[in-house]
Amino acid sequence: MALVSGLVLVGAILQVRRDRQNRHRIACYQAWEVQLTDYLFKGGYERGSFGPIPHADRWLFRNFLARYQSTLAGQESEVLRQLYLGLDIHLSLPRRLRSRDPRVRAMAAQEIGAFRLDELTETPPPPVADRPWRWNPGLRIEGYLNLVLPLLDDPVPYVAHVAARTLTHSQDLRFASPVLAWVMREEVYQRERLLRVLEGFGPGLLPWMKDHLESPDQNPEPWILFALLVGSHRHRDSQPRLLWLLEVPHVNLRVSVLKSLIILADPTIYPKVLPFASSPVWEIRTQAARALGVLGGPSAIPALLPLLADRVFEVRRNAAQSLVDLGRAGVSALTWIAEDASADRFARDIARERLEWADERGHL
Amino acid sequence: MSRRWPEHTTVLVVEDDLTTARIIQARLEMEGLKVFVALHGVEGLEILNREAIDLITTDLMMPSMNGFRLVQEIRDLPPPKGRIPILLISSNQNEQDMVRCLAAGADDYMIKPISVQVLMERLWRLFERSRRAG
Repeated sequence: MALVSGLVLVGAILQVRRDRQNRHRIACYQAWEVQLTDYLFKGGYERGSFGPIPHADRWLFRNFLARYQSTLAGQESEVLRQLYLGLDIHLSLPRRLRSRDPRVRAMAAQEIGAFRLDELTETPPPPVADRPWRWNPGLRIEGYLNLVLPLLDDPVPYVAHVAARTLTHSQDLRFASPVLAWVMREEVYQRERLLRVLEGFGPGLLPWMKDHLESPDQNPEPWILFALLVGSHRHRDSQPRLLWLLEVPHVNLRVSVLKSLIILADPTIYPKVLPFASSPVWEIRTQAARALGVLGGPSAIPALLPLLADRVFEVRRNAAQSLVDLGRAGVSALTWIAEDASADRFARDIARERLEWADERGHL
Repeated sequence: MSRRWPEHTTVLVVEDDLTTARIIQARLEMEGLKVFVALHGVEGLEILNREAIDLITTDLMMPSMNGFRLVQEIRDLPPPKGRIPILLISSNQNEQDMVRCLAAGADDYMIKPISVQVLMERLWRLFERSRRAG
């Protein structure tokens, strides 16, 4: 009985403490929001001071700034960065990156990315009174990204993910090799999701990959990422490289190349894609069925009609969808198949199903 | 850059993230504009029905009614409300979503993090274009 009462008491004390912290956080945020808009837009910056931040609230203020930092770019972002640097908590980053608590490690890595603590120190800040409006201090701190690098091997996946994002957002291609290696260590189904992380490096990553990856015959897996990145960057200069990769006899690579060619949507490459409609591999036929419609326009209808009778449902569905997307000519062809009693049963069924689907969504 | 907003110009900011909403509101008010803030599309439409609005900024991902639906609903309204310039702001870099919204009738879009200077410039251009079009 005494034990239960004791536990209830401890629980109640913890709850009260948590409630008090929450109320304090909300009160601080409400006050800082007003101060910040005044500081950014109503002359507070010229007066030189945001207002004092109590020592105990520095971490709370960091979280507050990080929220705004993800919303704002440009000059305001630089002003937020100065406020963060004024807290002096960045000095403890090397220690926090090695903390035993994964949340602390992840937050430290995130801080380095969010507040761009990754470049060379140039000049010390001038006195506040001498600063022009929206003074850009050029204050940078070198070497923090190197401290983030070991976190790619962190046993907690979330920490490794945050570290990778911080490294890519730096757009520093010195880190392209370790981040790419980290992506390749992940499961195959995860890699397409991690493309978003790689995209942080910006368009410079594609030329870097061209120069540094092994030949696709020896190691095709990283080239799958390359092919998908070409699609997401819409990098037209890379189209010849995609067509070259299309020649490599690797199923997943060809599928990825076809996906990107669909996005680039260059009709001149239609003849190069046409042969893949008769590939023995269903995954390739599935992508080819979409690619033909996008690249060939109405002239692809004769190539799409046989795919409506494919033995694999995904191929039939993509071929039918391509016909719907072609508009009047494609819909006419589908309607003709749907109403033709002598047509293949699979072709008739998928034609009816897609026509109904399109009708329900008002696409007809 | 000197911008002379006409008196009583009103902007509707539809944004579920209060951080972004407050920043935009503060900056617009600094330029002398009157700002209404709605937390989602349904509230935005209510304000639009009640007030004379000259410009709209809206987030893409919101509860109740997202930015895409809101743009469609506004464009279905009779003029002049149906023609109010709309600037879409999103943290989502998905190109397909952006294309859908522009196709639905949004006039421009920005991806977070946003530069407030660029935002003001784009709103001014939209406003000028709409004023010239009458």
